[in-house]
Amino acid sequence: RAHSNPFSDHRLDYPRSPSEMDWSKLYPETFDKSKVEIADIGCGYGGLLIKLSPEFPQSLILGMEIRVQVTQYVQDRIIALRKTHAEQYQNIAVLRSNAMKFLPNFFTKGQLSKIFFCFPDPHFKQRKHKARIVTNTLLSEYAFVLKEGGVIYTITDVEDLHNWMVQHLDEHPLFERLSKDWESQDKCVEIMYNSTEEGQKVTRNNGSKWIACYKRLPTPDDCE
Amino acid sequence: MKHPFQIVLANEAGTHLFSSVKNQILVFGLTGASQGKLIGSWIDPVDNLQPLQKQQQEKIKKLVTEVEDGDKKVKVPKIPTPGPGAPPIYNYIRSLYLSHQDKYLIGISDSDKSVLVFEIDYQNNENCINLIKRQIFPKRPSSITVDEEDDTIIVADKFGDVYSMDIKGPVIDDEKKLAPILGHVSMLSEVLIVKRNAKKFIITGDRDEHIRITNYPKTYVVKDWLFGADHKEFISVLNIPKFDDSLLISGGGDDFISLWNWHESKFITKFSIKDYVTQFLTDSHLPPERFLTEESEREMCISELIVLTSDSKHYIVILCENIPALILLELTSDLTFNYVQTFTTTFSIVDITAIEESGTIIASVDNEQDGEDKNLIQFYKLSNGKLQDASISNASISTSITELNPEIVESRHDFYPLYSVNTLRKRSEH
Repeated sequence: RAHSNPFSDHRLDYPRSPSEMDWSKLYPETFDKSKVEIADIGCGYGGLLIKLSPEFPQSLILGMEIRVQVTQYVQDRIIALRKTHAEQYQNIAVLRSNAMKFLPNFFTKGQLSKIFFCFPDPHFKQRKHKARIVTNTLLSEYAFVLKEGGVIYTITDVEDLHNWMVQHLDEHPLFERLSKDWESQDKCVEIMYNSTEEGQKVTRNNGSKWIACYKRLPTPDDCE
Repeated sequence: MKHPFQIVLANEAGTHLFSSVKNQILVFGLTGASQGKLIGSWIDPVDNLQPLQKQQQEKIKKLVTEVEDGDKKVKVPKIPTPGPGAPPIYNYIRSLYLSHQDKYLIGISDSDKSVLVFEIDYQNNENCINLIKRQIFPKRPSSITVDEEDDTIIVADKFGDVYSMDIKGPVIDDEKKLAPILGHVSMLSEVLIVKRNAKKFIITGDRDEHIRITNYPKTYVVKDWLFGADHKEFISVLNIPKFDDSLLISGGGDDFISLWNWHESKFITKFSIKDYVTQFLTDSHLPPERFLTEESEREMCISELIVLTSDSKHYIVILCENIPALILLELTSDLTFNYVQTFTTTFSIVDITAIEESGTIIASVDNEQDGEDKNLIQFYKLSNGKLQDASISNASISTSITELNPEIVESRHDFYPLYSVNTLRKRSEH
């Protein structure tokens, strides 16, 4: 299945709170070094995780995916990579989750420095727009788990969805768009453009890819 | 037999009782010359089918003109009417709230998913409530709260979104133009607005056991989520005691209540009510048939929680859904809950409301009897640290209010759903 309804009551395993999450199962070698800092939400087949792994050897990187079989595939893929490449790929992991509902169960305030949304489900129908991964209301939750100066990365091959994400991120007072210049110099943008399975498919079909990256602005002084 | 009141709500002064039966709002006097009299009423004129029928009628009109203009054949749709096997359509008032100083009564209608604002004028002898605004929302509102200035209503809905709405001022015609100020991806069950050190916050509780604190009016800044109490089921009640606004009591589909310092995001303690409630659970507390298995257990959930202060002690009154009892706890000054009493009643309680100053609790009860024992309203009183039945001393008010309830039904099959809190419980799909 290509899609999963984010509003369903899936039988999901998720921690009661971030402090109850047992990360040692996901990162058996490196979990005690640091906390998860990079999240790939809707990580699909894991292409981005695998490319990010050697670029950020000191950071824990987590892919979140709502589809059971896809999650299983990525898990198997990471296990295989860890076996064939000794001491590598220890900093990436995947778990099945509904990030739209349970992100605050996994991450504390300001824990993340980067969040990726690569080729998210476009939910074309107007009626389904609330199911999109970027909405005014969800952006406030992403802003909560993202530290000041942290970055949201978005990429899509659907122009309409790109415009939607840009519009909502532009409207959100805690985000500011990063320039084309910044994009051209950022390593993650390049990886995101080329490494995901969805992205490679778009390239094969000579499709276009739209990118937008946003910086998390400081929390206003009159807020807690 | 009469249809029970699905909502009772007393004003702070204890002079008036606002209630709802099906799609009607009824206001009764509790004291003085208007004692036991009906002094205000309103019937929702909107039928559940109306919006759909209207939409279809417009479609038909458009199609008919198209047919007249051209010569292509168009199948004209029918106006939907429920067949004999159709599930019953409910058209009732879901909840009632009072603004500060009884200026406004605010209701939530099921029929067209709207928030109803009534101006209250106790001096008006004909009808003390007057509808001044009916704002339709995209999804059914599930909980509201009124800002202390009495000019803004915060509306939380079934889809997880929260809106801000002016009490007065024009109605927004196109509900699609309404933009949420915050949202969860889960049905919201409770919303509160609270002030702490001159700063305001919105607290929301949802069907996924989340309690969230958000800055207000800058609602795009989330302050925190409350974790640590191990809530596994939905939240249905959130209560900030008047005596200490840093505290928050939460409860819902779990068999315990929790105490928090919400401002410091700290879980303080919890108290299990399981041992006191289990004896009252019946087969009506089993899961719906399609989820029923051999292992299914009877489920309890909290539908009301009231904080009362009497003789400088703080008490918690807990109503669990569809049981003939109230559980009384004390919240001590060192912030622990102590069990005080299980107060049993003759009938299952549908809803309760309290008049704090006198320690009076007014309950709407699920009474199917006719004749002498027909009363649908009961009075209890907290005195000397215990709940006591006060129905005898209030018998005439109670009888009068019951008689003024105009909804006569054949049997309980004709009741609107009196117990719907437990429907919030998640039944996993896959």
